[in-house]
Amino acid sequence: MQSNRLGWILLAPTMVILFFFGVLPFVYVLWVSFHQWNPFAVDPTMVFNGADNFRKIVFDAAFLNSVGVTVMFVFFAVVSELIIGYFLAQAFMRDFPGKSFFRTIHTLPLIMAPIIVGSVWKLMMTPSIGIIPHYLNLWFGISVNIGTSPAAAFTTIVIMDIWHWTPLVTLTLIAALVSLPADPFEQAQIDGANKRQIFWHITLPMIAPAVVATVFIRLMDALRTVDEVWMLTGGGPGSATRFVGVHIFKEVFPKTNYGYGSTISVIVLYLTIVACWLLYVTMLAPRNSRKG
Amino acid sequence: MSKETPLASVHLAEEEPVELPVEKPGFLPIETNWFDRLFISVVIWVALSLFWFRFIEPMGLSIWISNAIALGLAVWIIRKG
Repeated sequence: MQSNRLGWILLAPTMVILFFFGVLPFVYVLWVSFHQWNPFAVDPTMVFNGADNFRKIVFDAAFLNSVGVTVMFVFFAVVSELIIGYFLAQAFMRDFPGKSFFRTIHTLPLIMAPIIVGSVWKLMMTPSIGIIPHYLNLWFGISVNIGTSPAAAFTTIVIMDIWHWTPLVTLTLIAALVSLPADPFEQAQIDGANKRQIFWHITLPMIAPAVVATVFIRLMDALRTVDEVWMLTGGGPGSATRFVGVHIFKEVFPKTNYGYGSTISVIVLYLTIVACWLLYVTMLAPRNSRKG
Repeated sequence: MSKETPLASVHLAEEEPVELPVEKPGFLPIETNWFDRLFISVVIWVALSLFWFRFIEPMGLSIWISNAIALGLAVWIIRKG
């Protein structure tokens, strides 16, 4: 009983903070999502409109398009980061000259604020002054303009996200790989297992929890990407890079449509939770032992 | 043999046996507790409601039918899942 009470006392500050900064805002957003509310209108009162916002959202072509673009972005970015991050982690597990220097350089993007990353990439991608369009044109004869080409804008954002966040994946996978015991690998080698068998049957199952946790973090981050994209393309050209975060921003701030913006936020939260839960069920959840 | 408890097992005698919750395996393919099944029910309820708004309600069927179906599913999943 004593240890139980002590546990609750130690947990109490976290729970109070979580309640005020997590639960309460969520309940408020949920409440607002059932209203029509423009606080800057002549009549700023909240008008309860039942499920009308949700009724509207399933026919909102701009929102559905933004969900599609976001899902594509998340898929390409997170999968690439995971693959590149794994190979980099494996590389950093070996000894080579200048390893510490390369590891520091490789981790630098991680400490940059997303808004700075967006502005740096905007400078690098601007056709007249940017280094990337200049050399792409000089070496390969390719003309790139993210202001007019939707494919170029989308690809640039994916590459920018990979550049920014792969170090996080590398660091977590290095931590997972370092903590693996040597015995199973030695036994597998004695039994004649090749590298591919060792990876699929030993390494991957043992680092699966770390991989899933990393994908959770990246998935949640990528689904709410706003600042980098806002800085680099502003959601354009057209709606090619109008991710849900940018869509919510445009709906809430320029249009001051708080009720509908909250509805979109709730739906995006729902999609994020479902995606993470499906990932957990697929990779980690204990299977039911019932036969048949 | 003395009837007194041996010194080495005194600490064992003081501890109450811990009863682990034994649940019958349900039809869901993963191990769940009642809160997991409530969560699954809410996820299905929201998905069904959005599907209903998009495809069924324009044909004239009320959202309350979807809510009733979701409630029935929730009871079934929580009790048998």
